[in-house]
Amino acid sequence: MLHSLIAATGEPLEYGKAAGRAIALGFGAGGGAAGAGAGIGAVFNASIQSKTRQPELRAEVERDQWLGFALTEACFFYGLVGGFIAFFL
Amino acid sequence: MSALAGAPPIAPGAGGAPTAPAEKRGMSRGKKIFLALVAAWLGGVVFFVAVYGFKGHKAAEVASGAFSPVDEFKLDTWFKVGPVAFNKGVLYLLITAVITLGVMLYIARRLQQRPGRLQVVVESFYDFTRRLSRENLDESLERKYFPLIATIFVFILVTNLFGYIPLPVNSGETFKVFGAHIPSLQIYATDTNVAFPLILALGVFVLFTYEGVKHHGPIGYVKSLMPGGVKGPIVGLIFPIEVMSNFLRLISLTVRLWANLLAGHLLIAFMGGELGVLVGTQWVSWLLLPFGVAIFLFEAVLIAGLQAFIFAILTAIYIGGSVESH
Repeated sequence: MLHSLIAATGEPLEYGKAAGRAIALGFGAGGGAAGAGAGIGAVFNASIQSKTRQPELRAEVERDQWLGFALTEACFFYGLVGGFIAFFL
Repeated sequence: MSALAGAPPIAPGAGGAPTAPAEKRGMSRGKKIFLALVAAWLGGVVFFVAVYGFKGHKAAEVASGAFSPVDEFKLDTWFKVGPVAFNKGVLYLLITAVITLGVMLYIARRLQQRPGRLQVVVESFYDFTRRLSRENLDESLERKYFPLIATIFVFILVTNLFGYIPLPVNSGETFKVFGAHIPSLQIYATDTNVAFPLILALGVFVLFTYEGVKHHGPIGYVKSLMPGGVKGPIVGLIFPIEVMSNFLRLISLTVRLWANLLAGHLLIAFMGGELGVLVGTQWVSWLLLPFGVAIFLFEAVLIAGLQAFIFAILTAIYIGGSVESH
């Protein structure tokens, strides 16, 4: 079945290139999402804990929490952009 | 149904147990509407599978590779004025600048004792950016750089939010209204072109380097990049990393804003029907539509403001940090 798939797509070189691109996009987006997911989880974990311990610091903790969220979330996009560059260029 | 919902609870056989079965007797109105929407959504999936088939076929443009999802961000030159090529990015930038300047000048001209709605919003921006720059800069720097930080915040915020309003700018595709070819509606943001965040980040980079050099002197500035207390041969290892991280600030400032907006717009497009076009099945488009709406709201409500906030606070932190000695 795999052989017929490879034969259907034509040139092995083209096929390899397309596969490499798809892997790059998947790896960039998937790995980035996994890492950023863990990071954002850690940020909110720390934020919730400190807010329950010291509710009077809520405003300051929340400001830092959003800062941490955005900084961590950006790391997902570094991976994604790398994947897109590999896929489309 | 609604009369029944207002009746006192009659629980046969409950024996006075304090149950609160509000959802057991008839549903609230919001829940009914929600269920109707879910039913319409699922019914739509079935409808599209029934009409177009489970395995659709790709459109000719998609199959031949002529259609690319990134065409959305391609800038067609409309006309040229001297060396300036006019395209939709320039148009968006100009509109944003006019809106920002117009609103701010309008409010600044006629500040009132009892603020209107717009003035309340602008004042909250002012308070917010003022607090943000006070916390991160010392007093003389704060007086100098507060206007810049407030401008960056408001400008990026307006740019981002403006990118979620559909405008007829897609000159690649047209549709006909009374015989006139109108460019297709499109949501495009200036930030999805890397040049815009790069220029902003370059400005910030030059500024905080200038402040650092002014404060420490050229040699002192290079030394100040080094964290304090590091001695011995490890300096040779840490120093290149610190210098590199200083330059990586430029890249991270740029890519954060650019990639967030680019990926957001791509995701909205994918979820709002493009994925169905790419794989050639109609029901996929319909299936993903609610997620498209959800992502659109998430981007417009949270990400647009958050990115403006991040850019502004990082500007303040970098400028404040460059005059500080470790």
